[in-house]
Amino acid sequence: MIDVVMIASVALLIIGMVATIVNRDPFDKLISLSVLIAGVFPFIIDRGYLDVATATALIAPLSTIFTLMVCRRERA
Amino acid sequence: MIAIYVCAIIAVYAGLRVVVEKNTMRKLPFLNVVSFAISGTIALLLPHPLTILAAVAYFVGSTLESNAIASTWAGGIRRDD
Amino acid sequence: MIVTPEFVAGMILLIGGTVVTAFPRPKNYVTQLINLEIPGWGLLLVMLHYNESLALFTFAAVSVLSTYIFVRIIQKKEGA
Repeated sequence: MIDVVMIASVALLIIGMVATIVNRDPFDKLISLSVLIAGVFPFIIDRGYLDVATATALIAPLSTIFTLMVCRRERA
Repeated sequence: MIAIYVCAIIAVYAGLRVVVEKNTMRKLPFLNVVSFAISGTIALLLPHPLTILAAVAYFVGSTLESNAIASTWAGGIRRDD
Repeated sequence: MIVTPEFVAGMILLIGGTVVTAFPRPKNYVTQLINLEIPGWGLLLVMLHYNESLALFTFAAVSVLSTYIFVRIIQKKEGA
């Protein structure tokens, strides 16, 4: 992979992991988790698995939406 | 070659801004910037015609996720008041 | 055997996410459920290092399904 893209993806992964662990509000944790997920996709594309990347990008938000069902109940 | 560098650096900068920002609602535009930059990186990474399909799929999914978070957050605040 | 960056990043995510999921800081179910996503993506990166394409498909689908089941369990436990 191109070095700059690889370093940027690893930086996004580490930033997302640390922010997801440190934040305490569930919405802040979900936003930071989205940053973590953004760092995963260049690795999948670089291996050439375009079908896997397409399927994962379409079904990954469902997990967040299911988690939001609990968050709304928690805050209300 | 310079375009993918710009996309990657913008993604890292917006990710840092997401972490630094305190207000939850102000994190969401920077999250959208991360999504756009990663979509551009995906589209420019491989010289293959199906790459644009993966970029479109990631774009749609990430926008849906951000909208779901913002919608739930707004509804929760209105119910508290 | 050469160590690729996705293997190193995936192992960091896997170990750190597992520790944080086992000992969540605000000790409630929502924090634990969100922290459970971190080792999931780490495991996906480790599978990517070993070129397991079918495992990637299956794991991405089953992870969402298990998240839905956990959400229903938490809702049932908090409602009771």
